[in-house]
Amino acid sequence: MKVIFYGKLADMIGRKLEVPAKIPCTVGALRSRIAEMHPGAGQSLTDRRVRACVLGALVPDDHPLGLNDEVEFLAPVSGG
Amino acid sequence: MSIEVRLEECPFDPGAELNALLGEAAGDGAVVSFVGTVRSRSKEGHPLDALILEEHPLLTRQSLEEIATAAARRFDVSHVRVVHRCGELHPGEPIVFAGAASPHRRAAFEAADYLMDRLKTEAVLWKREQSGAGSHWIEPTGADYRERERWG
Repeated sequence: MKVIFYGKLADMIGRKLEVPAKIPCTVGALRSRIAEMHPGAGQSLTDRRVRACVLGALVPDDHPLGLNDEVEFLAPVSGG
Repeated sequence: MSIEVRLEECPFDPGAELNALLGEAAGDGAVVSFVGTVRSRSKEGHPLDALILEEHPLLTRQSLEEIATAAARRFDVSHVRVVHRCGELHPGEPIVFAGAASPHRRAAFEAADYLMDRLKTEAVLWKREQSGAGSHWIEPTGADYRERERWG
């Protein structure tokens, strides 16, 4: 599954990551899988402020994923 | 009612934005604006070389538009204008212009305040300070989140 990171998560993990995943899979399961692959980023990834985005829409952790989905993880945002 | 929202990759002139808003609001009675600028020192006190604002190809604009639209619906305002920078900024450069016009000053003040509280915590942008001491990501503070929560 293709995963893209923004903000500090991209610094920690890289901009893009291919994650071997089995279906059925949810955003939350994918989050845990990446945290196992990158323990240094585990705490940041599981921060409740880190949101996931699929097909341009923000989705909750129980959102089901397909093998061809591209998932974006957004580090905590800050404008102004 | 008009809502103007722009995400700018290059420096913008906040004076020109205020003048445009004043022109749109001619006769309305009240215009309030806020301009945020890049500080000269990092949070740790080091002279700042640059502030990097990373954007998302889709969600950044969407978030700015949603926040501006919510302000226009919530307050008795006639015009809302939000201009936000992205990319590499340098000390002194404007980061954000948030302005509102209204027949009543209180609504204009509140709309500008609301816009900034939400932009600080919800605009989809990632902010990184670059100084001689390295590179640091900047996230909203507890106070920023508390001020956002005032609006429910």
